[in-house]
Amino acid sequence: MDTGDPSTQQDGQKGWQTLAVFSLPSLAGNERQAMVLVEQAVDPLCLPVEKLDRLKTAVAEATMNAIEHGNRHQADLPVTICVLTEGNRMSVEITDYGTCGPIPAPETPDVEAKLDGRQTSRGWGFFLIEKMVDALEIHGDEAHHTIKLYLYLEGRADQDLADCSGSHE
Amino acid sequence: MAHENVVMAVRKVDDKTAAVDIRGELTAFAEDELMSAYHQAVGDGAQAVVLNFSELDYMTSSGIGLLVTLFIRANREGTQLYAVGLNPHYQRIFALTRLNETIRVFETEEEAVRVRE
Repeated sequence: MDTGDPSTQQDGQKGWQTLAVFSLPSLAGNERQAMVLVEQAVDPLCLPVEKLDRLKTAVAEATMNAIEHGNRHQADLPVTICVLTEGNRMSVEITDYGTCGPIPAPETPDVEAKLDGRQTSRGWGFFLIEKMVDALEIHGDEAHHTIKLYLYLEGRADQDLADCSGSHE
Repeated sequence: MAHENVVMAVRKVDDKTAAVDIRGELTAFAEDELMSAYHQAVGDGAQAVVLNFSELDYMTSSGIGLLVTLFIRANREGTQLYAVGLNPHYQRIFALTRLNETIRVFETEEEAVRVRE
């Protein structure tokens, strides 16, 4: 898709176009800023409200994880967020400086276990991310962790995009 | 450092029911506000507390954790918790997390009060 937006550029991955790249300091609460910036970046894609809400929640949770667990609240370590689109899908890549080696599989939260004390009442973040997006990938090396969130853009015809430009404000 | 960005107002609905209007963000930083509002509600004699989310801007996974903690406390004290005013997105999250099996969800405060009676 060519949105005609001069900020849109061809990404290194074949067929993917970068809609936005930005970095935020690892400060608690900056996930709100991430949500706002990603929402602005995907505006040309005219996502339905339900899908946009899911994306925003996933981005916020993944950014919080990056701030808390990856960068351990070190404000000088940025969280980098890249928003891309390709064909009928889009992706948000969130990268931190986590260097903890392989990422362990998170415990699946169980509300009954939480209520009777077998699990902590927290620990819903990764579960929510998984449920909000259509697919995700986690990559890690000795210097970074990246989570890639994918959403499919159903019914994203050119006409829909044209229509949404006047009704998405 | 971020701080709480939420206001919780406690209202008496009837002799046995109080409502907590949650305005703003339900995040980890809202813990003191939420617990304080709950204690004020039950301190005034309420046996059921309606959490009104109609002015909720944003809820994180930490906010969900707070609701689990609140339910544990309420359950221990024999207080019923209801949720009203959730938008479709947060209704979906309540269902995904099965929080709706512990905190009953209604469209309106009137419905929650009717069921309580």
